[in-house]
Amino acid sequence: MTQDNVTDDRTDRSTIVSPEDAGNESETPDPSGESSLSRSIAAEGRDGERVGTAQTVLEARDLNVYYDDVQAIDDVSLAIPENRVTALIGPSGCGKSTFLRSINRMNDLIDAARIEGELLFRGKNVYDDDVDPVALRRKVGMVFQHPNPFPKSIYDNVAYGLRIQDDTENLDERVETALKRAALWDEVKDQLDESALDLSGGQQQRLCIARAIAVDPEVILMDEPASALDPIATSKIEDLIEELAEEYTVVIVTHNMQQAARISDRTAVFLTGGELVEYDDTETIFENPESQRVEDYITGKFG
Amino acid sequence: MPREGYQEQLEDLREDVLYMSEVVHDRLQLGLDALETKDEDLAREVIDGDEEINQLYLDLERECVNLLALQQPVAGDLRFIAASFKIITDLERVADLAVNLGEYALEAEQDMYPDVDVQTIGEEVVEMNEQAMDAYAEEDTDLCYAIGDRDDEVDMMCQDASDTVMRNLIEREIDADTSEAEVESLMRDVSRLLLTVRDLERVGDHAVNIAARTLYMVDNDDALIY
Repeated sequence: MTQDNVTDDRTDRSTIVSPEDAGNESETPDPSGESSLSRSIAAEGRDGERVGTAQTVLEARDLNVYYDDVQAIDDVSLAIPENRVTALIGPSGCGKSTFLRSINRMNDLIDAARIEGELLFRGKNVYDDDVDPVALRRKVGMVFQHPNPFPKSIYDNVAYGLRIQDDTENLDERVETALKRAALWDEVKDQLDESALDLSGGQQQRLCIARAIAVDPEVILMDEPASALDPIATSKIEDLIEELAEEYTVVIVTHNMQQAARISDRTAVFLTGGELVEYDDTETIFENPESQRVEDYITGKFG
Repeated sequence: MPREGYQEQLEDLREDVLYMSEVVHDRLQLGLDALETKDEDLAREVIDGDEEINQLYLDLERECVNLLALQQPVAGDLRFIAASFKIITDLERVADLAVNLGEYALEAEQDMYPDVDVQTIGEEVVEMNEQAMDAYAEEDTDLCYAIGDRDDEVDMMCQDASDTVMRNLIEREIDADTSEAEVESLMRDVSRLLLTVRDLERVGDHAVNIAARTLYMVDNDDALIY
């Protein structure tokens, strides 16, 4: 997407379809209405309370991912509910990070990666030809294992995504809101012009979360966001994740099973070979899993 | 298998709970024997032995809390520890009831009601408790349900026993010739007998609790918990 195509109309930003394709779509509307993302988002009302029956935001259908001829995800189907924390757990190499990265098409960056099946975001397959990955990643943000702030000021880090979209209206206010939502504002409000690299690891990670939410995504993907942090910074991130789920849908990959148990509403257990073995309410997974393999994995009898 | 130390600790807990149950069941049987024979030494053995059981209970409680705090058990392991944690409380209470039997044995001078068969009820509830611990050891859910059924019969036996005592009391003639001492002795015997029956009924209830916790442990099933 070039800058010329970016408009200041916020409705347009809520779609992941490239502007030219979106234009074509309005001429030949999809009878199911599924691909009209802006309409479905408006209808579901993102400001609603967390309710018992959550809408599905993301859904994998028979998803297979290969790196050359190695299968990393094996025919996975699962639905991720809105405004919930969904944890993906499993041993190293089980495909949980690959799954996470396939949600916002980070695997596009890997030449060897090949995808089969569907990954629906609000009913629209993100691998359709008319989906703009950049627009997708604006709706589906990501936070990585190691905090990766830009070598810029705290303010510029948070404003970055909005500035590259030429979306600088009320910038100060939006930077402040993002920092507050990331539970960092009180600690940095007097040093916004200082380098982000001077912050502690835990603060840097919260800054990265602020940067991710500044562009108003719907989904935040987190790949072991606390594994490089000390216990206090970890518990701040965990508290933050629970708060974020009031506004956003959070999908988190973690090696720390107790962390998954503490903060997630749903847990998906992947085992070797990219197989999704069990997916259920977190309480069920950790108190009474159906699969003996899951039981053996989470009680540490294998792995 | 990884986490060997942890697996050993779980196995130790299982063995320790079973050991505690053996001590408690022995004590319960002694209490019943003391009641039958009016053997003062036996009665004192049961009463004085409670200290040891309380200590066993506290040690096991600590074992469970340590496992929870240090190993963060989940799934079947978590249910095993949670069930054991509850079961040791039931065992400790059974031991307290055995102490009551010892105390009744010290007070009782004679059997006022030979037709109230406390010993048969006692045998029944001792067996139920042994079965409950077998179910825990063997993870036998059928046995758990059988204990639930058996308790219904014990409840009926206890109700019959209480009815017999009360009926007998009502029918008993107390006249001018009855001494005050006789009346007092009668009152004490009646209340002691009713308490004995009630305590034995409770011993049976604890067996059901243990069976219920075992069902939860094995199958995550709360069918017997009411």
